[in-house]
Parts: sequence; C-alpha cells; structure tokens
Amino acid sequence: MAEKRESIRIKDSQSRRVLDSAARRRRQRKALEALEADNFQDDPHADLRMSKKAPKFEETIDTGPQVGRKKKKRRSDIFKERFRKNFAALLEEEQMMTGDLPGYQTACVPPSHFPERHFCSVCGYPCKFHTFPSNYTCVQCGSRYCSVRCLGTHQDTRCLKWTA
Amino acid sequence: MQKHKVKLAHSLKRKALLQEINGLEKKAKVTNKASSSLEDDANGRKKKSVPNCVIKAKTVRNRIFIGDQIEDCKDLSGLYYLLAFQKGYLINWEIERQVWDYIFGKSYLDVDFDDTSIIITEPYFNFPSIQEAVSEILFEDYQFHSVFRCNSGFLTQSKYYNECKNSSELCCLVIDSGYSFTHVTPYYLDKKIKQGIKRINVGGKILTNHLKEIVSYRQLMVMDETYVMNQVKEDVCFVSLDFFKDMEIAKKHSTANTIVRDYVLPDYTHIKRGHIRDPEDAGTKPTGSEQIIRLNNERFSVPEVLFHPSDIGIQEMGLAETVVHSISCTPEEMHPHLYNNIVVTGGNGLLPGFKERLYNDVRAMAPCELDVRVTCSDNPVNYPWQGGVLMSEHSDFNKQLVTKAEYEEYGYNLCMERFDV
Repeated sequence: MAEKRESIRIKDSQSRRVLDSAARRRRQRKALEALEADNFQDDPHADLRMSKKAPKFEETIDTGPQVGRKKKKRRSDIFKERFRKNFAALLEEEQMMTGDLPGYQTACVPPSHFPERHFCSVCGYPCKFHTFPSNYTCVQCGSRYCSVRCLGTHQDTRCLKWTA
Repeated sequence: MQKHKVKLAHSLKRKALLQEINGLEKKAKVTNKASSSLEDDANGRKKKSVPNCVIKAKTVRNRIFIGDQIEDCKDLSGLYYLLAFQKGYLINWEIERQVWDYIFGKSYLDVDFDDTSIIITEPYFNFPSIQEAVSEILFEDYQFHSVFRCNSGFLTQSKYYNECKNSSELCCLVIDSGYSFTHVTPYYLDKKIKQGIKRINVGGKILTNHLKEIVSYRQLMVMDETYVMNQVKEDVCFVSLDFFKDMEIAKKHSTANTIVRDYVLPDYTHIKRGHIRDPEDAGTKPTGSEQIIRLNNERFSVPEVLFHPSDIGIQEMGLAETVVHSISCTPEEMHPHLYNNIVVTGGNGLLPGFKERLYNDVRAMAPCELDVRVTCSDNPVNYPWQGGVLMSEHSDFNKQLVTKAEYEEYGYNLCMERFDV
C-alpha cells in the first residue's frame, strides 16, 4: 500500500539525485579506465564451438610454421608460473625490490602546475573561450556544459545514463 | 646475381635481428642487420614493421591473424585485438609467442637462430621478472646466438649523435611517444639519467579511444571500430599551434571554417579505405550510401591531450611541461645541452605540427638564455631501429652482446651486468 501512495514527484526527485564528489570521482576513474581498454566489444570468436567431430581441414586451421611435438614441449616449459604475472603483481614486486630508487612509480609525472581547462562535455568547445572563468556544471553529475542547448542534450543522453 | 647474393649471405658471420617490443603502434621491427636490402631481395619483401598483436576479425571466423597477416583480411571492420602488452609492459607471453613464432618462422624471416644476434628493446623500468623472462626465452627457447637488450632511447641517442654534424654533442633528451605511454629521457652520452626519466600515461591508444568516444557520442557509434578510427586519427588529426584560435575557427560556419573535414568511412565492399572527402563537395549531400563523419574540433582537440592530459581528467603534466620537469631533475650543467638536443621518436611524432608545438611550448617555459632545438626525423617510428642498424654495424657491437655460451656459463647475472635497461 505504502508504495502505491508514493508521489511521482518523489520518484522523480530520486532519479535526479545529486552525486557527491566521491561518486563523481569514481565515475571519472571509470571513464579513464575505459580509455585504456584495447577493445570495446566482446571477443567475436568467444561463442565459437569447436566440434571435435568436425573434420579438420589443413587450410582452414591457421597453423604457424612449427606446430606439433616441438612446440608443445616448449610450451609446458615456458608458461611456468613465474612468467604468469599480472600487472599489479609485477608492480608490487618491483616496489619490494627497488624501494625508493627510481622506478615505475617515481617515473610518472606529477599533476600539472597549470590550471585545468574546461570544455563543454557535449560539443567540446571551451566554455566561453576562457574569458569567462566560471562556466556551468550539471547539477546532478558535475559535467561541464556551455549552453542551455548542450545542457538539454546532456540531460537527454548522458547525465547519469552510464551508472557509476 | 643470384650467386652473388648467396655469397654475401655466407660472408656474413652473423646476422643481427632487431626486434622492438612495445605496444601496438610500435610494431615489431625485424630486419637483417648486415644488409637489409639483401633481405629484401631474397624474400621479395620490403623491410617493414609488423603489428605486434594477434587480431580476430568479425567476419572471418575460421582463423586468427598474427602480425601483418591482417593484410590478408578483406573486411577490417570490428577487429578484435589481442595484445601481449598491458600498459606498455609484456604481460601475456602466450600471445607474444605466437607473434614471435610467426616472425622468426619459415613463412616470414626464416631465422637461422644459431647464427643470429638479436637486438631487442624494452620499455624504461621494465619489470625485473619480465627482463628475466625475455632473456630466458630468447636464449633457451629460440636459442639465439647472442642477444642485446636495451631501451629504445639507447638506439635513438646513438643514431642522433651519429647524425649530428658536429659530433661534440654530449647530451640529448629523447622523447618517445608511443602506443601506451610517452617517455621523456635525458641521456648523457649513452647513459640515461635515471632520476630524469619521466612518463606520461598518454599514448596513441588513449588518443584513438578518446576520438572513438567523442565521435560515438556526437555522431555515429564507432566504439568497436578501433582499426578504422585509428586510420581516421592518422588521416585527419593534427597538433594545433594556437589552440584557442583554432577553436574559434572551428566554431565558424561554412567557408570561414577552414578546419572542418568530412571523412568517408570504409564499408569494405566499395570503399576499401576511409579517406577525407574532397573539400569541394563539402556541404553537398553525400552520393550513394557512403557513411560520413564530420570532424571539426576533434581534429586537434584529440592530440591536444598529449599536451594537456588534464583536459580529459588525467591529472598529469603535459609533454612540454614534462620536458622542463625532466630536465630540472638533471645536474644544472647539462640543462643547456639537453634543451638544445631534444629528439622526438614514436608514432605520435607523425602528427602534423607535433614538433613545432613542442618547440613553442618548451620555448615558452625554458629559461630565456638557453637555446631550444627540437628534431624529429621524417620517420620517427623507425628512428630507433635505424640506430640499431648503425649499432650492429659498429665494430664494438660484439663486445656489448651476451652470447648463448656466456649465458650458459654465467647465467642471467651477466645480462643484468651488461644490459642497461
């Protein structure tokens, strides 16, 4: 019963919740991680089922120059546990070994000394050509925009559409 | 003629093979040291770079494409990349082995391992266990006669000093802007100054992905068209010399806007490769079924990320600021030399305007009494490779190598001593 009586306005206000700064940072980190990705789509061959009964024609299978016994032998040798490390493990290992010496971590450049420049998240133009220091931000998600028109596009297409 | 070639091949004591391991853009480069033209003739193939990846195509389901086999693929839409490298470091050996097996194998280079030296480059601060794995696999698996490992900057500086008219240059600052990241490295003679090595986590991959993202949001969904959009980036993007002025031009309409370009996307039936539409037809309706995207401020705001990573929220210094920061980490006596000898390598150096913009920005930040000079060869991607060729022709080359016999005698420790990675 209680749910039924809830007004549309309350529901509406909930969908327009304002993200706090932590959530905004999280969303931005997600967006940056997406920029690091090698592929957007899923593996197109992931759903391939190799039937054992299907005859294997020589020319349809891509075989490198050396297959067979020799390669198999090397494989087992090569993919030893210690070569199978992900990036995080390698980084940790390096830190243990080098300590304060120059390494992967110290090589990364610090944040810029110059102030950040702001661009409209919709059309990509700098807000008011940086003559006007304060530009507009979306109340809900904090994205920048330059005009009412871009705000409309932003709210219709993007604002809180990809969930954090 | 044929006879002559064979004789030459025999007279080579050992062939050196140069392989660059790095991301995708930085392709694995392979050649025969002593005479690359010999190799070209013998195989009827020009020396070229091979993409260091394994590719799966949406339409071709019965095979995968290793390295440059992708040239056999007719439909390049929706390619799926398998990369051995993560953030620029070799993580997935299974994939890298496929690529190496293909390159060294009979169908490509047909390497005679017992009689071949290999020069292999690695990223700066390559993780110790990756270094060990590289050595072990090259010696024990492929059984190369001898190996030389180094950073690509090492080859760059040797090529650079060699090219300089007055060979009195003592220092150079190598900028390597590749697929996964951009490194700025000061060299004193052939020694890198470790505390000055700086990395910006922006490379060609981020630029392509950023272009994909904004085009998908503003115009047409191209998120899964990495290959096509990379070509778009290479065809239309440029580094702006006056960012805000170009922004204003991009905002103008019709003929006043000299920046906007229409790009015809390939459909792989009639149009095999995307291209810029003739500016004459701009404004007219496209004929037939061609798909067109319009690139306006995208053309220069994408490469701008290299100079201002904070534009897309990466809280790091831009390239010019990094140059100044890196130089400030070196002894003061070196500063004039480093500012005067900035070398650009890596695929992003191909972006039009890159060199000029870098010069302008560094000039603006550097002390006014110091001269700034930026050089970038016509082929910044192959520049370190050319340095490798030079090095392999040098008489001292044999002393720098570690041979298989030495490796078996002294083990990996000798590699750690001799190679400065």
